[in-house]
This record gives sequence, C-alpha cells and structure tokens, in this order.
Amino acid sequence: MRSYLILGKSIKRVEAEDKVTGRAKYTGDYNIVGLLHAEMLTSIYAHAEITNVDISKASNVKGVKAILTGRNYPYLTGSVIEDRPIIAIDRVRYYGEPVAVVVADTRANAKMAANLIVVEYKPLPVVNSPHEALKPNGPILHERLMEYRRLGEEAYPEPNSNIANRTKIRKGNMDRGWRESEVIIENQVSLPQSDHAAMETRTARAEFLPSGDVIISSSTQGPFFVRKEISRTFNIPIGKVVVTTTLVGGAYGGKTNVQLEHIVYLCSKAVGGKPVELVNSREEDMISSPVHIGLNGVVKLGCTKEGVLKAAEILYLFDGGAYSDRAVIITRAAGIDCTGPYRIPNVWCDSVCVYTNHPYATAFRGFGHGELTFAIERAMDMLAEKLGIDSLSLRIINALHTGDTSPTQVLLDGSFGNLTKCINRVSELMNWNERGPVVTEKNKVKAKGAACFWKTTSMPTDSQSEVIITFNEDGSVNLNSGVVEIGQGTKTGLAQIVAEKMKMDINKIHVYLPVNTRISPYDWKTAASRGTFMAGRAAIRASEDAIEQLKKIASIVLRSTEDELEVSGGRVFLKTNPIVGVDIKDIAMGYIYPNGNAIGGQIIGVGRNISNLTSKMNAESGRGRPGTEWTLGAQIVEIEIDLQNYHYKIRKAASVIDVGKVINYMAAKGQVIGGMAMGLSLASREEFLFDSRGEIKNDSLRTYPLLRYGENPEYIVDFIETPQINGPYGARGVGEHGVIGMLAALADALSRAVGVSLNRLPLVPEVIWRAVEEGKK
Amino acid sequence: MISFNFDYYKPNSINEAVEAFIYLNSKGKQPLYYSGGTEIITFARENSIYTGGVIDLKGIPECNALELKQDYLIIGSTVTLSEISDSKNYLLLGEVSRGIADRTARNKITIGGNICGKIQYKEAVLPLLLTDCYFVIAGENGIKTYLISSIFDGKLKLKPSEFLVQILVPAENVNLSGINIKRRRNSTVGYPIISVAAIRKHKQIRLAFSGVAGFPFRDIGMEKEINKQNLTIEVRINNAIESIPYPIKDNLFSSAEYKKFLLKNALMEIINTLEAINEDI
Repeated sequence: MRSYLILGKSIKRVEAEDKVTGRAKYTGDYNIVGLLHAEMLTSIYAHAEITNVDISKASNVKGVKAILTGRNYPYLTGSVIEDRPIIAIDRVRYYGEPVAVVVADTRANAKMAANLIVVEYKPLPVVNSPHEALKPNGPILHERLMEYRRLGEEAYPEPNSNIANRTKIRKGNMDRGWRESEVIIENQVSLPQSDHAAMETRTARAEFLPSGDVIISSSTQGPFFVRKEISRTFNIPIGKVVVTTTLVGGAYGGKTNVQLEHIVYLCSKAVGGKPVELVNSREEDMISSPVHIGLNGVVKLGCTKEGVLKAAEILYLFDGGAYSDRAVIITRAAGIDCTGPYRIPNVWCDSVCVYTNHPYATAFRGFGHGELTFAIERAMDMLAEKLGIDSLSLRIINALHTGDTSPTQVLLDGSFGNLTKCINRVSELMNWNERGPVVTEKNKVKAKGAACFWKTTSMPTDSQSEVIITFNEDGSVNLNSGVVEIGQGTKTGLAQIVAEKMKMDINKIHVYLPVNTRISPYDWKTAASRGTFMAGRAAIRASEDAIEQLKKIASIVLRSTEDELEVSGGRVFLKTNPIVGVDIKDIAMGYIYPNGNAIGGQIIGVGRNISNLTSKMNAESGRGRPGTEWTLGAQIVEIEIDLQNYHYKIRKAASVIDVGKVINYMAAKGQVIGGMAMGLSLASREEFLFDSRGEIKNDSLRTYPLLRYGENPEYIVDFIETPQINGPYGARGVGEHGVIGMLAALADALSRAVGVSLNRLPLVPEVIWRAVEEGKK
Repeated sequence: MISFNFDYYKPNSINEAVEAFIYLNSKGKQPLYYSGGTEIITFARENSIYTGGVIDLKGIPECNALELKQDYLIIGSTVTLSEISDSKNYLLLGEVSRGIADRTARNKITIGGNICGKIQYKEAVLPLLLTDCYFVIAGENGIKTYLISSIFDGKLKLKPSEFLVQILVPAENVNLSGINIKRRRNSTVGYPIISVAAIRKHKQIRLAFSGVAGFPFRDIGMEKEINKQNLTIEVRINNAIESIPYPIKDNLFSSAEYKKFLLKNALMEIINTLEAINEDI
C-alpha cells in the first residue's frame, strides 16, 4: 500500500481553537453600525385565504421603518419549480408561513410591531397527509402548477393534481420478474416530517451599496446558489450580487434552501438599502423555514427460494409540504437508488413528491436515502424472515458488484464499493451471530438489527468545485475554496490534500475559512457529501498547477529542465542531486538575482473539478447517469427493551462504510458518528405533530425531543477502502452516510426484540406497544 | 426575544413584595410574581403570556429557606429543584425533582414556580400531596398557613396578590418509603405521559398523579381500591383505574389507552416495591 505523509491522519481542524474558545463568529455575531432588524409574523393556519392585513397599529410602534406584506412583492421563488412567494400572497399554505415582515431599529421593536399586525383569514380545507393529497376531488394547493417557471433541473409535475414531481424508474421486464419470483412480500412504511435542529438558527443580512452592489451575508450552505437566486429573482446582474458566508453552525441540508435571503433583500430595499438582518427564532427555524421530508412507502419484492432477488415494485410517496423546493430532487434521488444496494434485474418505481399543507421540505442529511433505505430494508427483513434465512446473508446474496447495473441502468465500474466486506466487518464488530432476542433479566430483552445502504449524488450535471492556492513570501500557502465550513471539517481535509501533494508541512497551509462570492472560486453548494470529493480533486489540481509553476521558475534558477526537478519539504531540487535546489520561499514571489534582477511573480495554483460524465435521466425509464459515485456501507444497532412498558435503551451502534480512502481519520469518524446519532434520534423520537387542521403542536424544543447527549449509545466506526478512481486519492463522500441505515437498523432490532414487524417512525414506546397489541389480534 | 417591555422589582421582604404587587396592579400592569423565570421567559417569547411588571421573590429570606426545624422540613418557594435534590433532605421530592426538565433548567426552576406555573404537570407537588404538608401563603390579607388538601385542587388556589412563601413538610413524613414512576414519550428528559408518586404509611399506599388528567391530583377513592389487600393485585389495580374520578384523555404525547397501559404497569411496580418493604410504620 502507498504510504502518505499526512493523508489519513487525524489533523486538528483549522478552526478548532477559534471554536472552543468562543471566538469563532457566525453570521449573526457581528455588530454593525446602523443595522436594522427584521421580524416575521407567521401564519396560524395551515391553509387559508388572507382576507385582510391591517398594519395600522404596528406602523405606530416606535422605531418601525417598514412593514412588508406579500401582495406588494409578486415574486415566486423555488429550487426547481418557482411556486413559492417570498411572503405569502393572498393565501397561506402551511402553519408558520411568513405573512408579514417588520423592519425596525431593534429586534424587540420589530417583534412588538409584528405582534400588532392584524391578519384576517378565511380557513380552507386542509391536505394533511400525502394520501390526502392524492384523493380525487380533494383540495388542490397550486392551481397554476403547470404555469410555474421551471429552473432547468428535471421535474415532472402533473396537471390538476398535488403532484409536484413523479420520477419513474423502469428497468427490465416486470412480468418476467414476477414469473421468476417464488417468494413475494409487500410492506408499507411511513416516517413523518421533522426538524434539522442545527444549533445556529438560519440568519441572513442584506445591504444595497450606492455603487449598485447588493451584499448578502447568510448562514447558507450555498453562497453561490444564493447569489444565483437573488440575481434571477430580482433581475440583477450576477456580478453585482456579493454573498458572504462565515462559519455555519450546523446545516444538515436545511441551509441549502434560499428563504431569509429573499426576505432581507426586500427589507433592505424597503429602507433605502440600509443593512437589515433577520435571525430565525428557534420556533421559526423549526417550521417557517423548510423541514426534513416525510415518506409513505410501499415495497414489493420477489425472489427465488434461494433468495435471489428478481423483481421490485416500489412506490415512494414523499410529503414535500406546501412548496416543492428541493423535495422534487429528493424524490428523484430516491428513485435513482430506489432498490438499495441490491442486484434486482426488474424494477418498477414511482417516486412521487406531493404537495400538502405541511411546512415545505428541503434537503436533509441523506437526501431521501435514510427514507428509501427504511422502506427497502424493512422489506428485505420481511423477505429474509419469510425465506427463513439470516437477513444479512440475504443482503450478501444480492449485493451489487462491479459489472452489475443500477436502477437507472448505470454499469457499475471497478470503483464500486464492496458491500460484502462492509457486512462481514460490521457483523464481526457487533457479533451478529448473537443478534438475539436474548432475555437479559426479568421482562428485558436485548436484540440487534442491521441495515445496508448506498447513496450517490443527485446534483446538476455541471456542478463543480474550484480551488485556488496562493503563495506567501515565506513559501507558505493560502488555500481558498468556495466550500462552506458547516462543522464538517472539509477545509482541513483540503489543507491535508494540498500538503500531501506539495509534500509540505501542514502548518504551512493557511486556510481562508469564509466564502465571499467575489473572492472565492466557485462551488456549487456544500451539500451532497461532495465537499472533499469534489474540491479535493480541485485541490490536487491546484497543487499540480503550482508545482508546475514552481518547477518552471526553479528550472531557470537552477539552469535545468522541469522534468529533472522535484518539489518537497519547501524546496525545489534536482532529483539526481537533492543538494542542488532552491527554497520555495525564494521563488514564491518571484526570484531575485544577486544584482537585483527579478523574474517570475507570485505562484498561484488553480484547480477545477466538474462532475463530468453525469447525465440527465430519461423521463420514462430513468435511464441515465445522475451521480458521481456511490458510497455504501452496513450498520448494526443493539437495543435493550423493557417488555413491561416498551421503553428501550440503544446500547451500541456500528457502521462500516466503504469510503474509498480516509483523508482525516477522526474527522471521518466524527462525521459518521454524528450521522448515526442523528439517525437514531430521527428513528426513535423526532416528528412534527400535526392536529387535524394541519397545525403543528410541537414547534419548540420543549415539546420536540432530540437525542440527548447522555442517551447516546457506544459508537463503533470502521472503514473499508476500495479506491474511487475519480475521487481525491481514491476518496468518496462520507458526510451524510452515517444517518442512512440507522432508521431501518433500529426498527429491525426492536422488531426482533418484540417479535412484531415495526414499520412506522418514530419508534416511540407507544408505537411499539400498539404494534404488539395489533399483532395479538 | 421578549417583545414587550416590563418593570422588574426585587423586594427584600414579604411585605414589600405584596406592596409592589398592589402598586403594579393599580397601574394596570398585570403583575406576575417571578421566581426561576423559566416559564415566564419562554412563554413571553412566544407571546402566550403578558405582564407589565414582574416581582422577583428570590430576594426574600423566607422564600430561600431549606432546613429541618423542629417538626417540619421548611422549603422556601424559590429554592431550586437542583438544591432540593442535592440537599437529600427529602428523598422522594428530590427524585421527582430530578425527573423534571434537565439539570441546567433545574438550576433555575424553583419548587414554587413549578407548582404555581401554567404548565399542567407541576410534578413537584406530587410528593407534597402525599405528606400532609402545609403551604404558607402571603397576600394583602397577611400571611396564612393552609393544609395542602384545603388549598391545592388541581392547582394552588391563590388570590391575585397572593404568593407561595414556604412549604412545611411534617418531619415524620419526609423519610417514608416512596417511589416515583415517570414515563415519557421517548426520552430521559421531558414532560411526562404519566408521573406517579407513591408512599406507604400505616401499611396504606398513597398515590398522586400527574399527566393522567390535565392537572396533578391525589384521590382517596383510588387509594382505597389499591389498598384492598384481600384482593389480587390485578383486581386492585383495575378497580383503582376504574375509580379515577377524571376522564383520561388523548394528548400530544400519548393516547388515552397507552396512558392506561402505563398506569397499570406503574401501579404494579408501586405495589410490588412498597409492599415488599418490611420496615413499615
């Protein structure tokens, strides 16, 4: 195996000291002279006409500068389909939707005024679930659905319906598939909408300069995407829009959406361009801003008596909420990987995004995969039980390998990860042979559950990342990339990659952490686990570019040719005689001869990486290559449940993931553990509770539970390294993957313990109790 | 962010506190007595409470008492739940307190605030309902002492100017064998689906409930059923549940049926635990 200087090592994050000392600054942490503050008034109905908005009382509050209502701003926005007003216009479609915004000198005054706005509503019938959305003659949320502008990415809305998108996957021949199937099962699952729960609530600030520049500062995962959205929505030349993003305090996909940025733009414009800031309260961040998508799924699988899968018929019905935003692409992503990492020759899948009167959904860590994996893995477990074979053995029998094709008929190449290795390793780490159920003490049972997953990206075919490295007088390097530091540590990984490539001390790589769209090179979004994967390769190329430049000038100084030179340890020297060389510091800013003559100039390395070879999907069959690479893995969870009251403890959780190559061991492990904790929290307790009117009854952390620090199980993480040819040093993305299998693995463990198949999340004790009671009948 | 402005008073004596209340009330300020503030602050943020003036009781010495004096354990109303559980003066109250919110919040939440607040659970009152304690109440008509059963009925029956000063728990009842069973939706922290506190005195089990109805209660009829030791445990439990004087309703965190299921199990555990203890008084 190749040995590396710095790659794979647990290098401390570049921003670690700033964070642990409290000095790190987030978007809302800046004191700005003359800053005005915006506060929203949000809807108290899930679906209603706005018949009147009375701002007279609110206008009289001291310090109020402007009050914005939707009717004055007839813009529609969206990620794929432009269906969402910036502030509700004449109608609200979810509980918590912004109805009016007040700009005032202080937050308190703005909020006081917002509370004094009187809105009159006329309630409308509510679509309170994906099934209700499909009822014939039910309420239609977007009558003008087919007239909305679409923004390039694939979307297939259906007229006179609540269907925002239907992604179709058709592979093989279903008749043949069912004919060859000797054992058939069908299973239904559901999981509710929930919160991202990032520590930093979403924050945005806008300002118009007299020069015509529009400056937006935002806690976003996609500053360049915000720039594009602001430019398109308000018709401003893109170069005039500057978006800056400093550190982001957790995002999990929730900050890929553009919402507050549009609002503060309008606010600033309404007060003559003065800077205006809007900080979500926790409650607003939970429901007014977009949420984690919900799913109802039906999976039918057929296989031979030996367990070889022959057919899959799958319906994924996603609760996209009131506006389609990224839910359209989540639906598509769930279609792309609809079968899980299994070889199934005949596949029929409809992945459907429906409108409901729930908050709208955007990306969430896993991007549809935690959801589809829950559906597929529960069906696989049911099939294994019916066949009477071990559930992980069934997965090994059907694991996809190089040479097989994916549901969208992509031929899996030599880079495809090794699921069998992942399964064997995680089985060993968690002692799968003793999976239970085992009675531990009176009324207590211990059991283990497993799940496998895969995930590829679902992003535009031209999505890209660029990296620029510039050199300083002392030969050290500044690293600039458009990747946002959202807590994932990508920029530390990029520094490692540059240090490795330049064979340079890591302490000589200085990372520029913020992103400024006028300074930083382009980056699509810091999402889809692609920061290291995409920008990593750009960093390698930037280093190669710099090395070439260094060799060029050194060849003049050393009177040699470039191919005779080597760059390492801060020097450029002759391969054949390393004593003869020049320090990088003496050529990084040009070389000066003894008589004062100078040549060259600052070394600036540039690296680009575009997601080449991805393609669009066929509308009828889904055929196409939408993703860059797959990361796959296997996970096991161990629980202990008290059969008297169905309360349980999650004791252990393990993940083994084929990441291609570990760039920073602790960072990768941390990402996986964080994902696992999030998955267990989702699976065990998180959900928005709607009443019959579609109003959310737990929009605060008093009543919305998250996995607590002390409730975490013991985590075990290991990696398999099957190199990814198009990844940096063979690495794949790993940011999201810890979350994906946790939902299904927990359900499997609990199902095994109580002897009843559990298919509804979250798995709170009452849900288990109810399933057991129904099982008795 | 609280959007309305309010005055803040921190009196040093009971009289000053009552005077401040009368004054603010006369100005139409809708005053509130203030202790830990966790409920007032969070409710004010979401506009579900309004006040033009708060009177912080934490400067009043009587409200901060926590000591065993002669025959009573004295607990001031502004003593925090953390102080109560850390003091180990009253184990069952400490155990119940430790089940409320999380440590950081309990460092602020006071026993008076927990009992007098708007949130329905008021779990800290459960052990008190079992131990024949007294509530010392101050108001414009002076300071009065009431037996808990005469002044607590689902909530503390306070007149507008009144506030809870102290709780006096008979010392003989403080160390009775007790148990608290709290079941949540699915977390080690948070509001209960049900919370039951129980003690055994003179071979009789006493029970107090939170979460079962929309308010905390103790019911003598239920206790009669549960203590019919000539019947089987199952029958005693079923009869006790049948005799709950309030309807058990679905709520955000649980269906009524599941509540009943948890209640049965809780009562089973209570009987098995308390009746197994020999050093009975």
